[in-house]
Amino acid sequence: MEIKELMQELSALKGVSNASMIRDNVVKLDIDKNSSKEFFTKLRDDFGFEHCSLITAIDNQPEFELVYHFTSVNKSVTVGSTDMSVMMEAHVFLERDTPTIESISDLWGGANWHEREAFDLMGIYFVGHPDLRRVLLPEGFAGHPLRKDYVYEIHEEEW
Amino acid sequence: MSSKKVRGNPGLRRGVGSKTTDLDEIMEDPPAGDWLTLRSDQLLEWIDNAVYNVAETTGMREVVNRVTRPIFNYGQRFSPHPLHFGIMCCAIEMGQASAPDHDIDRLGLVYRSSPRQCDVLIVNGPVCEKLRPKLKTLYEQMPEPKWVIAMGECAISGGPYWDSYSVVAGADTFIPVDVYIPGCPVRPEALMHGFLTLQKKIREKEPGMFLRR
Amino acid sequence: MAEMWISMGPQHPMTHGLWTLKVKVDGETITDADPELGYLHRSVEKMGERRKYFMNTTLTDRLCYASSTTWTHNYVLTVEELMNVEVPERAKYIRTIMLELQRLASHLMWAGAYMPDLGHITGALYFWRDRELFLNLLEVPSGSRLLYNYIRIGGVKRDLPDGFVEKTERVFKLFEKRLDEYADLFENSKIFRMRTEDVGNFTAAQAQNLGITGPNMRGCGTKFDLRKNDPYEIYEEIDWAIQTREAGPGYSDCFSRYMVRIDEMKESIRIIRDCFKKMPKGPTLASAIPVRAQGEAFRRTEDSRGEALMYVVGDGTDRPYRWKIKSPMFTTISACPHYLKGYKLADIPAIMGSIDICIGETDK
Repeated sequence: MEIKELMQELSALKGVSNASMIRDNVVKLDIDKNSSKEFFTKLRDDFGFEHCSLITAIDNQPEFELVYHFTSVNKSVTVGSTDMSVMMEAHVFLERDTPTIESISDLWGGANWHEREAFDLMGIYFVGHPDLRRVLLPEGFAGHPLRKDYVYEIHEEEW
Repeated sequence: MSSKKVRGNPGLRRGVGSKTTDLDEIMEDPPAGDWLTLRSDQLLEWIDNAVYNVAETTGMREVVNRVTRPIFNYGQRFSPHPLHFGIMCCAIEMGQASAPDHDIDRLGLVYRSSPRQCDVLIVNGPVCEKLRPKLKTLYEQMPEPKWVIAMGECAISGGPYWDSYSVVAGADTFIPVDVYIPGCPVRPEALMHGFLTLQKKIREKEPGMFLRR
Repeated sequence: MAEMWISMGPQHPMTHGLWTLKVKVDGETITDADPELGYLHRSVEKMGERRKYFMNTTLTDRLCYASSTTWTHNYVLTVEELMNVEVPERAKYIRTIMLELQRLASHLMWAGAYMPDLGHITGALYFWRDRELFLNLLEVPSGSRLLYNYIRIGGVKRDLPDGFVEKTERVFKLFEKRLDEYADLFENSKIFRMRTEDVGNFTAAQAQNLGITGPNMRGCGTKFDLRKNDPYEIYEEIDWAIQTREAGPGYSDCFSRYMVRIDEMKESIRIIRDCFKKMPKGPTLASAIPVRAQGEAFRRTEDSRGEALMYVVGDGTDRPYRWKIKSPMFTTISACPHYLKGYKLADIPAIMGSIDICIGETDK
């Protein structure tokens, strides 16, 4: 399979913009927040991305950015003499006042805890997540520490 | 002057004999007044107080302590039972110290998995806010006498995680620490040295433990 | 029979680190599980934002205490991609050698920790004895036993010392002989196989969906290894093969996962030997290494435990704006209700031990 074909097919989907290739086996694109669930469903069912590698939340001040990395285990492109597995990087932008997006944990089981982590550390709300609790920080912790405006005390010793 | 040899300490014998008559003064009644209504911890506390008072007033406590001190101290020194508890990198070195190359077991160490059977707590990594209450519980579950070893920079002061929002600045902020072993990570040899230091400390600082307050 | 929850951890011999596993049992059978993490959350990602790019290698070293080089390497690879640094050829070979030595040490650590779970304490001592050999080898160029900080942005800290090749070869000869002994002791042992076979099964499709990667996934027979499928350093030029095992058609059990790791150790030896043969002479550190970076980059590598991925965003300063770590164990632990359900309570140490947990990278 050609990576360019995949890129064109993906960019024809609803809500997709700015599709580009960042490496020989990686496609990068932006998705509209409202059509994200539809896109991800197609991605899993039609394009064979069966593994959700990572969900990153970035505090871009003012808005939030979610970066999804998906891996295809069985699909590969031939670059030179090697068969490289295909990856996809999807960016979704969220407003600061309403950092909500539809959960994909029903599509990929591996996304479940990535979403919990993004909620825990960055305060992104995933609608439809079965169990959106803090995962790393204790219950009752105030605030979301990876946000840039999170203030905490550093015990700096005086020399 | 009689040639007959007096066995034991005559003063002490006199002391014991003279005090037996006013035992009622030394011993109190059980707190609730009735034996049957006592809870087990109240009963134990009462027995503890009664025996301690009698032993203290009659001078028996010092005698027993002097006799048992070397024995208990020897036992404590040469068979520390550390808790089998790993936090981070130093836990790997703790395990590696038990491996054949270093064989720390020859110092008499026996790792136990239950805090009820241990007397040494090795804090071998950064203590995070979520872990702190659990570690405190583990420490409190250990029976007396107990010692704590802060193994590595993280347990001493937070180490490389000094500016983290979730790491406590050292284990000694919430539990008393006896031995600090620097290193990141601590080498097995250093851990061995830490245990030898602890042995020295037990010999010097910890007296016998019979009827200890 | 009434169901009840049993809590194990954070201090429990089964956990291999700091986490809590709550299992719901119906008699002896597990019906549900709820893992809980966070006892070792050191906030590495936030701390990385306060440090310069090259300072972060001390943090990545301490991410996973059993396999520190692979994580430092992943970070360095990502930052090199971000900064467009060209690494000298010899440094790439040295990196590959160090990575494979680290993989050997990590797998031996795992095997040593797995044996007491099965009640075989002698096995732990055997494997840890051999791990010491590889720690000594790793100590030769880096000067440290556990956390090496050897791989730097732009290359490696220093060249391999004289006599390293011969020393390594001596260790390999000894270790290969011992691996044969262990085959008799473990794979051919009826008790070991009774304890591990047909326990903790999951299928390849499940593994892909739930995010179980690395040796655990290759134990299902899936031929997927990022050293081949997204090659980095010089794995393309080296003669080696992906090791897979399966317990049955498309599913894995504890024994197949054990065997994959044993096979990978043999394969690592092959890779290192080939590296020594093909290694060119030359510098080991790039001459010009930038300090600032702009843009975003991610790289994934095959950690000893699975797919490691780091995503770094730079804003033009000398510190990362955002640094995200993907840990393979994070998702593997999250999937544990799927492969614990239906087995007995006494199988938990065998199952959770076989997936090679490292909480340092998981909690970040």
